[in-house]
Amino acid sequence: MDENARKKREWVKTAAIIFLSVMLVLTFFSNTIMNYSLPEVAIQYVQSGTVTAKIRGSGVVESGDPYNVEVKESRKVASVAVRVGDFVEKGDVILYLEDEESEELKTAQDALDQAWNAYEKALLSDATTAAALQISNSGTSVSTYRQQLTNAQKVVKDAQNRVDDLKEQADVLSNRISNMAGRDEDIRGLQEWVNNTLAAKNDADRNKKSAQSHLDALKGYQKQWENEMDYWSQLSVSSGNAGNTDKVAEAQNQIANLQRALEENQKAILDAEAALNEATIEFNNKEAEWTKATNALANETAVTKGDLERQLANVNEELTNANAVLKEKTDLLTEMTGALGQGLNLGEQMEAITKAQEKVDELTEKSIGATVTADISGTITALNVVAGNTTSAATPVAVMQPEGKGFSMSFSVTNEQAKRLAVGDRADLVNAWRFDDVEVVLASIKPDPNDPGQKKLLTFDVTGAVTAGQTLNISVGQKSANYDYIVPNNAIREDNNGKFILVVTSKSSPLGTRYVATRVDVEVLASDDNQSAVSSGMLTGYDPVITTSTKPVEAGKLVRLAENN
Amino acid sequence: MKKLVLGISGGLSFLIFLILLITTNQIIGAQDTQQMARRWSKENDAAQVSCFFAADSETTEDTILMFEHGIDSALTEASVVQESENPGARLWADAYSADGKITLSNNKTSVTADAIGIGGDFFLFHPLTLINGAYFSGNDLMQDYCVIDKDAAWQLFGSYDVAGMTVYISGIPHIVTGVVERPEGRLAEAAGLEGTLVYVSLETLETLGTSYGINHYEIVMPDPVTGFAYNHVKENLGKEENATEVVENSARYSLLSRLKLIGQFGVRSMNGKGIIYPYWENMARGYEDILMILTLLQLLTLLYPVILLLIAFIIWWRHKGWTLRDVRLKAKDKLERLIERLRAARAVKKGTGEPFSGESLPKEKSSGKRFRRRKKRRRKTFEDDFEEIEDFL
Repeated sequence: MDENARKKREWVKTAAIIFLSVMLVLTFFSNTIMNYSLPEVAIQYVQSGTVTAKIRGSGVVESGDPYNVEVKESRKVASVAVRVGDFVEKGDVILYLEDEESEELKTAQDALDQAWNAYEKALLSDATTAAALQISNSGTSVSTYRQQLTNAQKVVKDAQNRVDDLKEQADVLSNRISNMAGRDEDIRGLQEWVNNTLAAKNDADRNKKSAQSHLDALKGYQKQWENEMDYWSQLSVSSGNAGNTDKVAEAQNQIANLQRALEENQKAILDAEAALNEATIEFNNKEAEWTKATNALANETAVTKGDLERQLANVNEELTNANAVLKEKTDLLTEMTGALGQGLNLGEQMEAITKAQEKVDELTEKSIGATVTADISGTITALNVVAGNTTSAATPVAVMQPEGKGFSMSFSVTNEQAKRLAVGDRADLVNAWRFDDVEVVLASIKPDPNDPGQKKLLTFDVTGAVTAGQTLNISVGQKSANYDYIVPNNAIREDNNGKFILVVTSKSSPLGTRYVATRVDVEVLASDDNQSAVSSGMLTGYDPVITTSTKPVEAGKLVRLAENN
Repeated sequence: MKKLVLGISGGLSFLIFLILLITTNQIIGAQDTQQMARRWSKENDAAQVSCFFAADSETTEDTILMFEHGIDSALTEASVVQESENPGARLWADAYSADGKITLSNNKTSVTADAIGIGGDFFLFHPLTLINGAYFSGNDLMQDYCVIDKDAAWQLFGSYDVAGMTVYISGIPHIVTGVVERPEGRLAEAAGLEGTLVYVSLETLETLGTSYGINHYEIVMPDPVTGFAYNHVKENLGKEENATEVVENSARYSLLSRLKLIGQFGVRSMNGKGIIYPYWENMARGYEDILMILTLLQLLTLLYPVILLLIAFIIWWRHKGWTLRDVRLKAKDKLERLIERLRAARAVKKGTGEPFSGESLPKEKSSGKRFRRRKKRRRKTFEDDFEEIEDFL
């Protein structure tokens, strides 16, 4: 029993020793163990500096002002005398063409035959007049004929206007004659109008005179009071000199009263003058009306029915003459127009024959021993035919880069990228060491025809040792801007509270220094390929920012710095 | 002995349950591509939803753009507004991608690799392990960037420290912004990660590589009520049932989803849609299956000790040797004694009585020997009953 109890005690003692030993070891190494359970982070320090957003793109160098060498005929190529990249002087042969009658020559010959047929048909037509033939052969310019036609049209128009006027006069006279029966009543009416206007005129005259007399009376008062005021003013001065203050006071009092009376009278005078003007205008109006009525009555009583009938006969005769003139002029215009049309048509047909003949002659000359030569000096940048091919008017046989002209290249960018560029920006070549003295400058920013809403087409002027067809990779960007806080791109994180960075803060503890990831909300101001400029009120300028970590790091959690930090 | 075996087996079963529970939670927590909602909002009020398109769905960037334009108005209608003071804060973020092939080259060699053309904040949803450099975004000013995996970095440059180097894709220079670790393992390889993989912008893949079209879209957005985000995506992007599939990533590993998955055993693998899942969705589905098994095992390992406990409780209850009436009487007795003691103490204090001895009250009959006797009898009967249960099991 004792043995058992002793064994049990031994066992408990051993277990306790083991437990305490383990606890001791764990306590000693707790810092190390905890450190290795924490996520290891790499840090970089917030810096100040520049951020430059570069736009990169690739494009094929093209001739800035390419010259297309074209052959308008369909001709078979016998041989090509140049190669791409060759420099040719003006007049140098580019292609040799085989001797043959081209399709264009056959077509031109047919066109010439048709033109002759059309002309001869027109000549034999019944409608063709001598005048037309004369016009077609006169050689007078079309503008001259056009002027003649315009003049004739004007004459006809004037004649027509004269006829219209006379018709209107005849209508007025006819109406007056037919209305002669009610004439006495008209005269009575006019007489009554005269009487009324005369009475009104007399009233207005009386009013005018009354206003005038009122004004004169007011002016008389004005004069009288002014004299009195002079009197009292002199009295005041003389009394003042004599030392009679009572008299001076009385004079001053009188002067003040007169001053008020004068002012009121002045206002009354102004009102009276306005009333007089009004009455005068009224009188003049009534007088004019009376004169008008009197004249109307005089006119009405002066004209008789016989007078009107004679006038109507004259107008009708004049109208007949005018109609005759109008017809004559219209006929002349019609004849002139027809003759001109025919004549000019014949002239045009003859001109077409001449042109067709010239073309046939030109193509006939080219059909034997023909060559295609360079019209300008320059470099051949493209050859679209080889020996045996047939040329086409739609496709240039060769493209030349004119001597002394630059190159261009273009590529498409998004609207957002285009916003950061300006015409005149100088671009850098991505592999600048491969090129010698090549300069690329942004020449234009236009909507991309393939996607005008979303993209812009950048066109660059390229100068230097490049050739058409070469692909260039360039980068172009806005000028660098200075920022206070710049962090690597991989330091920027985001959640629904916006973008943020994790800054490592340290705090001392009994077991050593602890590092904590602290969230700092930031606003990204600009970015380039590697770094971003940020703004935040919580950054001091030399904060350690977490860039990468071995495990996901959350704000507020402990972290372990990588050894190279 | 049998009782001991049952007790140990029950304990072991519960231990296994706990281990399975921890393992399950660890597996769920390790699925970074499915945890975007948790990363996006600490308040757990956001949902991550993915939409997968069939190859012939002809989804374009314009389709996505149109959908994006509708999100803000939908959130406004649901009275969800931005409350953050940070001027760059967004309510939602999204990403889309297309599978394809692309050839990268430098002056020495070239590599043809599987490619994912990305748009939007792809790497926000897919925080791959960076060995070097940084991610890029489909919203960056320039789109001539690429993120390559270790294999590609080694084949092209013979090093992993290659961030900032230039590679050429169809002659156009692209900048390597980062090198990532490609997920490895049986599941990853089966999911489509058996070869070299590079990430380029969608624009690069479409213009300079071979693109199979946009076939994945992901969004993290506020979820004011359960299913709001899922329904919005479903109604606006996933209308064509046969050409799209919408998944709410933030809810796919919940206990309810796992139990539903168990219910779908046998029919889950049937698929009538022409959708090719990306590797992360294949892996997520693989882990769904694993978690389904683990959940099933959890249920069984929890059920066994619970049933044992239940039986033990029933037996104990049946042979407990006391009734509720006994408890009530005992409590009443204790209360009366306490009151009596207090009275006696008050009397002693006033000097009018004697200290309480307990003899004034009658002794409870059920105390002392009687209880011990009952307990002995109960133990015997209890053991007998356990033997009966063991025989039954």
